[in-house]
Amino acid sequence: MPVLFTQNCSASSFPIRKTMNQNDIRSSRTATTGRMATPHSLRWRSRIIAICGLVILLPIIMVFAMSVGSADYSFITIWKIILSQLPFIDLTDNFDVNELGRIEDAILQTRLPRVVLGGLVGSALAVAGATYQGLFRNPLADPYLIGVSQGALLGAVIGFLIAFGNQEISQFGPVPVFAFVGAIAAVLAVYFIARTGRSLPVTTLILAGVALGAALSAITQYLIIASGDSDLHSKVMLWMFGHIEDEWTKVLYTFPFMIVGTMIIWFYSRSLNVMQLDEEQAEQLGINVERVKVILLVCSTLVTAAAVAFCGTIGFVGIIIPHTVRLIWGPDHRFLLPLATLVGAIFLILADTLVRFARPFTGAEEIPIGVITAAIGAPFFLYLLRKKKRGTYF
Amino acid sequence: MKRIETIIGIICLLALVLLPALACDTEEETSDTAYITITDQFGRTVILDSIPDRIISLAPSNTEILFALGLEDKIVGITQYCDYPPEAENITKIGGFSTIDMEKIIELAPDLILAANMHKDTDVPELDRRGFNVLTIAPETIDDVMFNIDLIGNATGAEGIARTLITDLENRIKEVHDKVATLVDEEKPGVLYITWHDPLWTLGEGTITHELIEMAGGQNIVDDISGHGQIDLETVIWRNPQIILASTGHGSAEDSPLIWAQTEDRLSHIDARLNNRIYQVDADLVTRPGPRIIDGLELIAGLIHPELFGE
Amino acid sequence: MLRLENITLGYDRQVILRDISLSARRGEVVGIIGPNGSGKSTLLRGICRILQPKSGRVLIDDSDIAKMSRIEIARLLAIVPQAPSLPETFTAFEIVLMGRSPHLKRFRFESKKDFDIAWWAMGITGTQEIAERQIDQISGGQKQLLTIARAMAQEPQLILLDEPTAYLDINHQAETLDFIKKLCYEHNLAAVAVLHDLNLAAQYCDRLVLLSEGRVYAEGSPDEVITEGNIREVYGAEVCVYPHPINNLPTTLIIPADSRKQSPEVFDE
Repeated sequence: MPVLFTQNCSASSFPIRKTMNQNDIRSSRTATTGRMATPHSLRWRSRIIAICGLVILLPIIMVFAMSVGSADYSFITIWKIILSQLPFIDLTDNFDVNELGRIEDAILQTRLPRVVLGGLVGSALAVAGATYQGLFRNPLADPYLIGVSQGALLGAVIGFLIAFGNQEISQFGPVPVFAFVGAIAAVLAVYFIARTGRSLPVTTLILAGVALGAALSAITQYLIIASGDSDLHSKVMLWMFGHIEDEWTKVLYTFPFMIVGTMIIWFYSRSLNVMQLDEEQAEQLGINVERVKVILLVCSTLVTAAAVAFCGTIGFVGIIIPHTVRLIWGPDHRFLLPLATLVGAIFLILADTLVRFARPFTGAEEIPIGVITAAIGAPFFLYLLRKKKRGTYF
Repeated sequence: MKRIETIIGIICLLALVLLPALACDTEEETSDTAYITITDQFGRTVILDSIPDRIISLAPSNTEILFALGLEDKIVGITQYCDYPPEAENITKIGGFSTIDMEKIIELAPDLILAANMHKDTDVPELDRRGFNVLTIAPETIDDVMFNIDLIGNATGAEGIARTLITDLENRIKEVHDKVATLVDEEKPGVLYITWHDPLWTLGEGTITHELIEMAGGQNIVDDISGHGQIDLETVIWRNPQIILASTGHGSAEDSPLIWAQTEDRLSHIDARLNNRIYQVDADLVTRPGPRIIDGLELIAGLIHPELFGE
Repeated sequence: MLRLENITLGYDRQVILRDISLSARRGEVVGIIGPNGSGKSTLLRGICRILQPKSGRVLIDDSDIAKMSRIEIARLLAIVPQAPSLPETFTAFEIVLMGRSPHLKRFRFESKKDFDIAWWAMGITGTQEIAERQIDQISGGQKQLLTIARAMAQEPQLILLDEPTAYLDINHQAETLDFIKKLCYEHNLAAVAVLHDLNLAAQYCDRLVLLSEGRVYAEGSPDEVITEGNIREVYGAEVCVYPHPINNLPTTLIIPADSRKQSPEVFDE
């Protein structure tokens, strides 16, 4: 719980002692002017309320998302099915066994995992984006900054090329595994290129990331062309723009990376705050900057790689969400990170709901979700640029 | 001096104007002894001097038609996907489906090329420019198939054989049609045809497979999709097909669609699974618009209504 | 409480400072003066161990800081850098609160005590009014005070200042240095300040260390260190050093070229 203090420490007493102790502070707190520190505490309170509000909103959004889809089950039916999952509740008496089986398969085994995975991916990308922006102290940073997307794409393309005849590589085929490995390998390579002795200069990281990313893109493009596979191009484009999968097993494989990575990142939120000063000041305040950099880099990369492995490189989430949260609730990472997690999840669930809603109107294939996030993200960027003119927000 | 320049200029201009005319001239050889004028289903007309002796087929369905008309000795080039009948293996290959080997075609010097729908906009004009006789054979319905068998028969001097073949095929169609003619809608099971399972691709309205399903006394549950389209799992569960026809996949993944349909957990409550009516279907029989399409029709009819078609 | 023993400092192969020894006691302000490039800022970096000495020891209360972790050092000493970059959307209070970092356990968040100390630090620096303002809305002088407040929030035993008056107006220069001196005296801190202005150095520092070309040229009270001879040798400038009319501390007056022509006899010595 945050600490709310309300009294001014008067400047009238200067006890001479080695360290300040509680008694002295308290004794110096004879409020002479009565000026309150309430704006600060109010801000903390509003942020906590926001987090609580979003935690409540998230399941509501999820249920809403579950009521949208191609199978035309009524809202009541869906509610009955969901509620019947709770212990001691069973509203499914009037359904024929097989019909009930079908409804559960459609809603609980297909729609629900998709909503959950959408939320996980959204929160992962938002948290990773916020972390990268904090690490690099750069508003344009996103989770794909140092080669993750190019590495993942190369992995995916290799997966596509060897897919026929290699379905046994994993139960999902080679694409997710290779994409995951590719994402991590790219960042590892960038890390080793950029590392100088004990330190990891961030500008070198970015440059190395851009350079390696370009090289990987070139290799990927070559592979696509050389394969002679005319389908590959469209498959790759679809993968790049992303698609939320709908199987529980995929959720199960993604979940641990995201939970662990996100929790660790949350723990370092105070350090991230202090690192917004320049690195030297942060060192002087006792933060082990190099170690924190590496830990945050590892965690956000893992989280991003897990998000990208099954669902492709969905863009804009990693930029829009952190900036929006910052605009509304400020730059303190202790609130920014949990809020970004929640807002990211809600955002992507809603975007995916739009994708599923539009299915009957879009013909043979679904709109890739990256198209939706781009359609929202691009105008948002322009708005951000305009706002920057009037003052800083980062 | 000025005058000489003017004269040179006029000569150059004349040369520029007349040269194309010279070029055109050589192409306008209209022979009075044309063998036949053929117009394909796209309205392209081809004039043949004599019965074609060297035929190239750019699609497996065209190859099958040629073999069925007894013209196998005249085929000089086929695609690498032309795998039926087995005798076709020995014929020179001139490329894949969309990537035809132009050099090879020129080398083989065909006097008739049978192209397919996908060549219509790109390869056919090029072949035309190089002076080849090209007919585009792209049947989309069973009627189209008959039309094109007839067309090829006329073009190649095999009208008689073509007529016989068509009559035979039409009889078989009639047999199927008569047996299912009296079925009402409730007796026509919902059928889903899947070409691939991840993601789910199926064939809807406007495809020949859809026509087969309907003619065989079934109802394609994706008749709101046109052509080759994607579908999501939810819709399949919701529409609850009674029969699933799993196409054979490609290469080593041949059985994948079938295995998926038989083992996917989330399909375990649909009628097709409950009644174990999931069948594998040879894609070549039900999608290739050649004479074997009727084999496909009979196959599907037998699967959908075993009670009417024995076996 | 601070003792430097034969410190040699440099970056990579380059050696900036050689064999520096100095000390600072609690309650006193030690000034580091010298021309640009003499290594003043480097010395501060070496003291707080941002830079590792190539040889020699730094002792705080007789403990070698080479053996301490970064956090332990941060609990003992605070550095007030020159015009530090501050993130623009944090509030002043949040910045000062960052000074409590060294005292917080790994994953703990600030407690009431930390808030109180930060608030107190802002109180003594007179920055409480701007506590809720964002950094991009406050002036350079206020940022300087904030940085000092942050340093005070660290509850240090030793405070290092790098040109604390660099961007301040004359009145604020006096105020800030008055304040620092009072802090040291009243809270028993030691302070080491790098100063550019020789007069300020003389007025406010109990002892001075004059650096020249990487070595200690002179050390002692302001009277001992700021002499015309020393200034001429180290800075290569001709100056007049006169006692301050009120407190007799050495006041350095520069002599423009034209004035030199006017009284050539003064320079015949």
